[in-house]
Amino acid sequence: MGEGRVSPNWVVLSLMLACLAAWLILDAVSVAPNRIVPGSAYAALEIMSGWPALLLTAPMLAVVVLAWRPDQQRLKLALATTVLLLALLPLWLSAATAVLVEPSMPQARVGIGPSLWLLLFLLLLVLIELRTRLALSRSMGWCLLLPMIVSWWLSLALWLEPLALQREYQARSAQFTSALTMHLVLVGAAVAASLVLAALLALAMRRHAGIRRAGFGVLNFLQTIPSLALFGLLLAPLAWLGTHVDWLAAIGVSGIGWAPAFLALLGYSLLPMVRNIHVALEEVDPAVIESARGMGMSRRQVFLQVRLPLALPIVIEGIRITTVQAIGLTAVAALIGAGGLGTFIFQGLGQAAMDMVLLGALPIIVMALFADALFGSLSERLRQGGTA
Amino acid sequence: MKPGSLLARHVAPVPTSRRWLVPMAWFILLLMLSAGMGQLEWLFRLVEPDVREVIYRRAGFFALLGQHVMVVGVASLLAVLLGVGGAIAVTRPAGRDFLPLVSQLASIGQTFPPVAVLALAVPALGFGTLPIVVALLLYGLLPIVRNTLAGIDGIDPDVHEAARGMGMTAGEVLRQVELPLAAPVIIAGIRTSVTVNIATAALGATVGASNLGDPIIAGIVNGNTAYIVQGALLIGLLAITVDSVFERLQPASQA
Amino acid sequence: MIELFDVTKRFGSEVAVDGISLRVETGELCALVGTSGCGKSTTLSMINRLIEHDGGEIHLDGQPVRSFDEVALRRRIGYVIQSTGLFPHWTVARNIGLVPRLLKWPKGRVRERVEELMQLLGLPVAEFADKYPRQLSGGQAQRVGVARALAADPDILLMDEPFGALDPITRETLQHELRELQARLHKTIVFVTHDMDEALALADRLVVMHQGRIVQQGKPIALLHDPVNPFVESLLGGMDRGLKEAALIQVGERMLPLGPRLLASERIAYGASLSQALSVMLWHQVDRLTVVDEEDIPIGELSLRRLLGAKAS
Repeated sequence: MGEGRVSPNWVVLSLMLACLAAWLILDAVSVAPNRIVPGSAYAALEIMSGWPALLLTAPMLAVVVLAWRPDQQRLKLALATTVLLLALLPLWLSAATAVLVEPSMPQARVGIGPSLWLLLFLLLLVLIELRTRLALSRSMGWCLLLPMIVSWWLSLALWLEPLALQREYQARSAQFTSALTMHLVLVGAAVAASLVLAALLALAMRRHAGIRRAGFGVLNFLQTIPSLALFGLLLAPLAWLGTHVDWLAAIGVSGIGWAPAFLALLGYSLLPMVRNIHVALEEVDPAVIESARGMGMSRRQVFLQVRLPLALPIVIEGIRITTVQAIGLTAVAALIGAGGLGTFIFQGLGQAAMDMVLLGALPIIVMALFADALFGSLSERLRQGGTA
Repeated sequence: MKPGSLLARHVAPVPTSRRWLVPMAWFILLLMLSAGMGQLEWLFRLVEPDVREVIYRRAGFFALLGQHVMVVGVASLLAVLLGVGGAIAVTRPAGRDFLPLVSQLASIGQTFPPVAVLALAVPALGFGTLPIVVALLLYGLLPIVRNTLAGIDGIDPDVHEAARGMGMTAGEVLRQVELPLAAPVIIAGIRTSVTVNIATAALGATVGASNLGDPIIAGIVNGNTAYIVQGALLIGLLAITVDSVFERLQPASQA
Repeated sequence: MIELFDVTKRFGSEVAVDGISLRVETGELCALVGTSGCGKSTTLSMINRLIEHDGGEIHLDGQPVRSFDEVALRRRIGYVIQSTGLFPHWTVARNIGLVPRLLKWPKGRVRERVEELMQLLGLPVAEFADKYPRQLSGGQAQRVGVARALAADPDILLMDEPFGALDPITRETLQHELRELQARLHKTIVFVTHDMDEALALADRLVVMHQGRIVQQGKPIALLHDPVNPFVESLLGGMDRGLKEAALIQVGERMLPLGPRLLASERIAYGASLSQALSVMLWHQVDRLTVVDEEDIPIGELSLRRLLGAKAS
């Protein structure tokens, strides 16, 4: 090693070979004349065998070759090729749609086949691997996704009207918007409320060991109860409250709907939040506090200028965990009529309409990844500032 | 470091019989409730005075509990085998190339909501038990892989060097040093995995599997709170039983 | 006997060990000394093949190390490192018995051997056998580390800064014990340290390394007398070299048998070093000391002139 001959990057090599296999063997696209009739599936080469197929095959082969003897330069080239491939996928799908869907089929629906899903997944893995090998920053990693996003957006707007997912969305765009809003509102409200409550609880815990023990006991216990069960268990008492307490009924509290969802979300969010705030306040290096006192800072100054800035990254880490968790749990809350994107998932599952399931599940995953990245980088940035 | 307390931990552990008292109690409660839910009809009558049927009877609670445990058990067992095995593989010299990708994948994957994973398994695999097992397996893998990696990575490199320097083979280092030292972290990962899977499996009722989620879904659909309470109680008890077993199983961290 | 012939090790483009040749005789304690990053630890690790050498040959008793199975090789070489590397999940007794158990000794024999070693290293069995490493002090832990390395009675012992993390008093005690142990066991020891005093006190042969090469090697006294360049000279203590040499020579070697003269008022032990004697003279402002044996009986005398004159001869 180290003398000219570098060993192959087995990770990229095997991922890319898997890509090639998926591309050449599995079905890429399915076409159905309407929503009810099951579609027929086509492999990539069956649709367009000439240069369009080569358009994707050639870059994949190129990456394989580059990964065989990788140096910095070749890895960069492989990265660029992978970004290109990701951007080419929707364009290829558009072309395939144009070939397969005849103008005489206005209801035709194009489904994305296992080949394309797998390709998308594997190419993203290649991207992660190359980003790590080249030691690119987190924000650079997100920039690498831009060409793909632009390409999808363009294709969806211009050419991919027959895409089943798109058709599903267009059929209920108003519903989608309100579900998305509801989802965000529920998550936001639960996270914000739990932040305030958790801060109070954590401060109380710092004062009294009894509250600390009891608090963590209850919250830990709560966390082990499955979400569906907790949502269910809240139905009865809230239904009772809704029918017996007028002002609660007036603001919309009932067994079904936002109220049990919000309460359960709050309950689940409290544990990670309290734990992180507690740790954040406890684990500031005592030597730092002592020296701050020694310099003559007042209690207030110590808290505001030393404790808080040092604790903030850990608190934001708590917000990150809580938000990601709440986004997933809110989807479950759809079962008790709380609305949100979970509605599409469960309706879709009920009607065996898989595109509708995707319409609910994909945005939820994107939201979770986005929240994770946002708060993750925020806490990282603050931490760097804190230690600098 | 208080050597006294450490000594106490090693020399005088809680007697085995007493240690398992709490999980046993939860377990017995779970069994009793599964068997004798019918006896509690009067209680559920109080919750739902107006409906015709207050006890869920489409399937026996024992059968539902069995199904639930079965699905979670199979998925978790496979997840442990694959997860621990995979994490060990990528920490060996031969598999080390894959370590960065696997560890990043495990942490990114954990941000995927379990419901979404379950929902995506259905289009890929159809309805029934299979997509649930696969979804639980995939989702359950992540905390196990992540914790196994963290556990092995957290071992003092000097301990590792000493083990090799003393002439332990790679297998001996793995079995006698790495795995025992990483065990507390690995078990914590398995605990997270199983707990989440018990909750997620309940959602399987929406994709055609029959398990303890069934009464809840049926209750929500029919507006019958008694059904919901029955399902919720049993799932909650199952989760708590399993969790308390793991709590006892988890050895004190040695690191 | 350990022999290195023109051994080289590269990490990427960096040359860590650059063509060194060295011969450690059976029963000899050879200390590798140098600043950090000079390649001394790498050299050590190449002997038991924790690091494979790129060029040259390493022989044990005339056989190239590459001809042995690496696991079998390590089991017959004792290995001690600075941080002890004791297994935190095993008791002291189990840690010490590691290699014998790897070698599949019968249980009873392992236990006997463990107890024998604990005795040898001053660790009372009843008190320490069932303790865990984190319940030990630094010095106790390192004793366990040495016991573990000696467990299968290896002919060769590799020690990588074994006392580097200890406080000065414990370090000196353990150095003293190692010297006594070596006087009894006659192992072939390669000892890596950055502490020149430790190397001078322990080594039969001193090897000074710098930037991957051996700059000078020989008996400690020889090096003190004749450093090849300013680097070795400064490593040996520069202006303190005189005191360092004096520390290596016993009072007994320089004293005159008790003559007709009156006893001097201050006393010094027969086994003390010349530097200690000098210190006593300076402190009491005298130029003559009475030398006594272990029972505090006067057996000779040491004058300042003899103390100094000895050096000139």
